[in-house]
Amino acid sequence: MTQAVPPILSVTPSRALVDEKFQVLVENLPPGCPVTLRSLHRSEDEDDWEAYGHYVSDHRGVVSVSEDLSFGGMYTGKEPMGLLWSMRPVPGSRKGLRLRKINVCTPMLVNISVHSGHEGFRDRTPLASALAERWYMAPGVKRIDINKQGVQGTLFIPPGPGPFPALLDMWGGGAGLLEYRSALLASRGYVSFSLDYLRSEHLSADVEFKYFETAFNIIRNHPQVIPDRVGILGSSLGSMVAFNLTAYSTIIKPRCIVCISSNHYHPPGTTLKAGFKILSNRTNDLSKINCPMLLVNGCDDQNWPTVETVARLLREGGKEHLLSRLAYPGAGHLIEPPFSPHFRATKFIILNSKEKVILLWGGHTKPHSDAQEDSWRKILSFLQLHLYHSPSVKANL
Amino acid sequence: MFLLSRKTIMFRAHMSVTRIWQLIEKRMMSCISVHGKLPGLQRAVGEVRRKSSFRQSPLLTATPVRALIDEQISIKGRFLSQNYPVTVCAQMHSEEGDLWEAFAHYTTNASGSINLTSDHSVGGSYVGCEPMGLFWALEPALGSREGLSLRKRNVETPYMVNISLLEGHTSPSEGQRTELAAVTTERWYMVPGVRRIEIRQNNIVGTLFLPPGPGPFPAMLDLWGEGGGLFEYRSALFASRGFASLSVAYMGHKDLPGPPHIMSVGDSYFKSAFQLLQDHCQVDADRIGVIGLSFGVVLTFRIATRSGFKPSCLICINGAVGSPLLDEDGKIKMSESDQKYWELDDRGYVSFKNVSLPDNLPPESKQKVENITCPLMCIVGEDDLCAASTENADLIEEALRSAGKSHQFTRLSYPGAGHLIEPPYTPCARASLWRAKPEKLFALWGGHPAPHAAAQEDAWKRILEFMETHLRR
Repeated sequence: MTQAVPPILSVTPSRALVDEKFQVLVENLPPGCPVTLRSLHRSEDEDDWEAYGHYVSDHRGVVSVSEDLSFGGMYTGKEPMGLLWSMRPVPGSRKGLRLRKINVCTPMLVNISVHSGHEGFRDRTPLASALAERWYMAPGVKRIDINKQGVQGTLFIPPGPGPFPALLDMWGGGAGLLEYRSALLASRGYVSFSLDYLRSEHLSADVEFKYFETAFNIIRNHPQVIPDRVGILGSSLGSMVAFNLTAYSTIIKPRCIVCISSNHYHPPGTTLKAGFKILSNRTNDLSKINCPMLLVNGCDDQNWPTVETVARLLREGGKEHLLSRLAYPGAGHLIEPPFSPHFRATKFIILNSKEKVILLWGGHTKPHSDAQEDSWRKILSFLQLHLYHSPSVKANL
Repeated sequence: MFLLSRKTIMFRAHMSVTRIWQLIEKRMMSCISVHGKLPGLQRAVGEVRRKSSFRQSPLLTATPVRALIDEQISIKGRFLSQNYPVTVCAQMHSEEGDLWEAFAHYTTNASGSINLTSDHSVGGSYVGCEPMGLFWALEPALGSREGLSLRKRNVETPYMVNISLLEGHTSPSEGQRTELAAVTTERWYMVPGVRRIEIRQNNIVGTLFLPPGPGPFPAMLDLWGEGGGLFEYRSALFASRGFASLSVAYMGHKDLPGPPHIMSVGDSYFKSAFQLLQDHCQVDADRIGVIGLSFGVVLTFRIATRSGFKPSCLICINGAVGSPLLDEDGKIKMSESDQKYWELDDRGYVSFKNVSLPDNLPPESKQKVENITCPLMCIVGEDDLCAASTENADLIEEALRSAGKSHQFTRLSYPGAGHLIEPPYTPCARASLWRAKPEKLFALWGGHPAPHAAAQEDAWKRILEFMETHLRR
């Protein structure tokens, strides 16, 4: 007999949506063998991101990331998805990086490899490796650029005849138009419109209510959308817009809204465009909300005082029965779809002054990642309850 | 479309959503608001709605939505009416452009859901609880050409299969049917990272698939049948499961010498192929097995007993111990001389089974299987109409038993299964076009869909386990 068969590394499933878990399994190792599992990803900006965990094989020579404990590295303990959410730029990278997928039609490629030993594992060639694809879009989801009635953004439509419930998806400042959350929501059965309201040159400084109302109506009137099942999902600045739209618009009536890292207090200047006059003069009044609302906040949010202001909202009373609240200790401002890496601080360009700063978002990696995983599941469940399976039935014909 | 009053407008059935929308945009019906339940609109004329008045938005999911061909997909429908008849339908286009379809009839439960992993089909392309029935029961759509088979040529792209949920118990050919929901699935032969390498060296015509990673990997030599050509899909799947795999063509390929319907290469060709695997830096030279289907089985036995190589294991699917077509050097000595054993059915389709009956094989053509030194797995479809698989397996078993090598022999025998036992969840053709020149010939493979599908599923699992046992330890 010749040399031993090398270990076998498998990642199952090898092609998955980004919010799905995978199982990383190493077999055929000697028993009690120290190994390091490592993930490597090259971003669209050509930066390398990695994560690793130190493991010891069991008596059968098997390491299962889903079941075994990591003894060190970028994460410790039993963390099935640690190889993704604990990723950081490799040593020597530029500072203040953020990992976001801009082209959602292609998958994120992650190389998972197993190395012998713990210390200095990078100096050795891997024993085995596998490639995993992580997708934001399910097959059959259609991506459509929208530039209609002055409104710009990207629309994602699930496969099938429809009609479907729908969502208006709004991000915050400094990110440009991010499509990945909408692509993922469409992969979960919602027509989702990622609205561009901050970056485009065509938009004047006076972005008024009308812009958002028109956007909402474009979705509502789409032939593949059920008109009375349109919700709004916003994060950061987007959630402030969502809240104000729901409370003060006389034209649109969302079925439900989700506000992630919302701000119900207006800090002077900085990230808001000057033209939000209409919004900034009103005080936030919970009693104006007439639909179910889900608020998601990280308690370690260093960007906006979200927790403090939500507490004030609750005190104002009247509509608590519509409000559901998720607050996560140790989580920061950027609560995103699960298993994406955490950024405590990243580069940011301030909208008005074009100043480049490093903006502190807050959060600590492990609690933040748990918050992302838990909140996504609960957001999907909230949306499904109110947009797919509503207890309030209406007569037809 | 006709107007009852300014406020109420009825639509004919068959009017599509797009048309309604176009009419609205053209402001012909400016006073209208389109109701959400568009499928309901389509049936508004002249038919009493069977169900309640509450608005549905059904959801159909398939998990995983991007899967390997040999992986099970879990299909579920939710938010439907309770205890309601629905049809689940699968449709896909082959690489040749033919439409393949399958459908099954289900009834939702009291929560308005269906789950193909646990529910029973009560009609359609299959009955009973068959989680993957929509895939193995695929058939060419009505009006297709004769004798089609589904065999993927380009393994680097997936099959796109559209799964849809229809109202009521209906069939794809029945025309007007209301689609409630749909989902698109991708079915792949390769995992990401598998490398496909075209081999045109040492006179070998083949394709090598390597798993991702540094290796070295155990390997398989993959041999197909007399129909010729180069089929890569089994090798692609082996590489996706961690085994390097080389699929070689020996007949009917433009890069091979000689006319296409004659085998112009002999034993030395297969020796070169085995040598190529042994010499490859990412292959473990001591862990190479051989798998053969149909005519490939004879070739497998020749490699195991005559080439001087010692494979680690052999897998033989529906083949014979010898062939009247081969000479001493393993080349074809005459063509179609076995025609006296061909049996034609009333459609003119040919069964080759009697050609390979042990009694009809020339004695000198039978390989000395008792000389094999490694484990052998023999897979037999009991309804094989193309080869006398059962009779040959009996012969092999007896030969090994007499040589004291029974412990090396494993037989898997499948009632109702035909000749082409292939990776699972793919349709089986009872007959298909075998050759187009010099004239069209359709071969009978045998096998009935449900037992053949069960055989493919079970055999594949056991083939992989057999390879794990003998190539990894």
